[in-house]
Amino acid sequence: MAEKKKRYAMVIDLRKCVGCNACTVSCKIENQVPEGVFRTWVKEIEKGTYPEVTRYRLPRLCNHCDNAPCLAACPVQATYRAEDGTILIDYDHCIGCKYCMAACPYDARFINPVRKTAEKCTFCYHRVQEGLLPACVTTCVGGARVFGDLNNPKSLVAKLVANNPVQVLKPEMNTEPMVFYIGADQDIMGARYTNLEKGED
Amino acid sequence: MDNVTYIANVEHPVQLGVMIAIYFFYTGLSAGAFVLSSLGTVFGIKKYKSIAKAGVVMAVALLAIAPLHLIGDLEQPQRFYTLFYRLNPRSAISYGTFLLTLYPLNSVIYLWFMMRRDFAQGTQTLTGFRQKLYALLTFGKTDLSEQALAKDDKWIKRLGTLGVPLALLVHGYTGFILANIQARALWHTGLMPLIFLMSAMVSGTGLLILVLLITQRFYSPEKSLTPERKALIFDIAQLMKWFIVVDGTLMVIDFIVLYYANAAGHAAAQLFLYGSHKTMFLGVEIGLGLLVPFILTFLPKTKKSLGWISLGSLLTLIGVIAMRVNFVIGGQQLPLSADTLNPYTADPKHLLMIGLFALAEITILFLAFRFLPIYGLPKTSAPSTLEFNIGNKAVVK
Repeated sequence: MAEKKKRYAMVIDLRKCVGCNACTVSCKIENQVPEGVFRTWVKEIEKGTYPEVTRYRLPRLCNHCDNAPCLAACPVQATYRAEDGTILIDYDHCIGCKYCMAACPYDARFINPVRKTAEKCTFCYHRVQEGLLPACVTTCVGGARVFGDLNNPKSLVAKLVANNPVQVLKPEMNTEPMVFYIGADQDIMGARYTNLEKGED
Repeated sequence: MDNVTYIANVEHPVQLGVMIAIYFFYTGLSAGAFVLSSLGTVFGIKKYKSIAKAGVVMAVALLAIAPLHLIGDLEQPQRFYTLFYRLNPRSAISYGTFLLTLYPLNSVIYLWFMMRRDFAQGTQTLTGFRQKLYALLTFGKTDLSEQALAKDDKWIKRLGTLGVPLALLVHGYTGFILANIQARALWHTGLMPLIFLMSAMVSGTGLLILVLLITQRFYSPEKSLTPERKALIFDIAQLMKWFIVVDGTLMVIDFIVLYYANAAGHAAAQLFLYGSHKTMFLGVEIGLGLLVPFILTFLPKTKKSLGWISLGSLLTLIGVIAMRVNFVIGGQQLPLSADTLNPYTADPKHLLMIGLFALAEITILFLAFRFLPIYGLPKTSAPSTLEFNIGNKAVVK
């Protein structure tokens, strides 16, 4: 049987995430992400009333969607999909129209203030090509971030996705994200409009 | 749950800002002016024939400046030309690139056929700078025979017929730019292209009225608002009234459905109707921009007053600018992952560019209405010009 094409994905097991932000820092260093912008970050909320209070965390990054809205939006095909499913940006051809940033339902993209093009998480494509893991996965203290080929049933990501109830962000957008969460709280996964509806900004 | 506090998150400022909003404003004005000019030439409504040239000159002048806002907003403006060959058939912007090229090109040729007769006559009857300019602009086609003029009319009709769908597309596609983005609840509606088209008609009519008032008074050969011209302006104001009615209706429909939409859509409706955007939306966009102009064009007293009509026209322009800003920026302020509005601060560089582009626009419009035979040839020359105009057919020497 012919070998199936690779499809890289990430599973983030929130039962193991301690919210240390080591992933945020290692990504910044590995990818030389300038000040004020992030390829990955950890969102954190507090829920409940004392003494019944819990904090929930949600590491965020590009979902490398199977049906990526950014791919449809880019007017110059600077955003493209690599062989292994990863969504990448050709920095030499990005015109910086920012339409992809409007199209992304996940706030994953930003303008690199130094390079002046759109930018986002690449699943550390340069490392993966050399047989290494993404920087955030290597550095994750609790081992919450797992990276691998979803099309290979023997890979840890494929097993985790198969054997656990997993969630993706905004499934109703039909984007088919390739970042899966285990144990994500519903109040942290999207936006929160309660404050807006009260008339506060 | 009610008691949720955000501890840590990354801020995501609004990306498509005031430059894009103003770009939408310009293309809307252009499309609106073009459609009005076509009423006489394409749809054969005779009374609008006298403003056909003015409408097309406006359409061309506005579309000459509009795309500069897009290029100025790019982070890599020097790469803009790649839009022409690195295409993405799934991106509305890719379609827009060609519409924004074809539409003004078609309009310029259309305009030339409309003015060729004046250029040719002016070459013979005028003197000085205008004579030289018009001689140049005929491009050697000085034939004033009846067959030649009939051929012009045929081309006017053909190019105008092509121009109307192009004008609608060039503004309709801007609606698709927003509507195709599922992520933004305020944008993602099939009504968006229609809302953009109707607000284009409202603002296009508003600007046309103002331009007609000023240019007919100061730059036409008669240098006055003749009774027929006044009557036509009041007539156009009545058209504007109906455009306002349709535009307002679409807006009401849009917000009723938004109110019954998902959490994000409902929040968008709340934000505009009760939240921090209500002054800009209900006050400026709907109140000043649609309601007041509607009343001014509806009341028997004000609808026959040039002063009130021009105030109404000016207000529609302000209202449509507010609409573009509300939808473009407001649509992105609604958070996707946060619990507060995404922040927006206008880049001073962008505001400066908008000011400079507006100055350029006014200059182009001034030069065009000052020197082109938009309302016929100047009366300085021999009475033969009069004969041309009255007889409405060519006099062969």
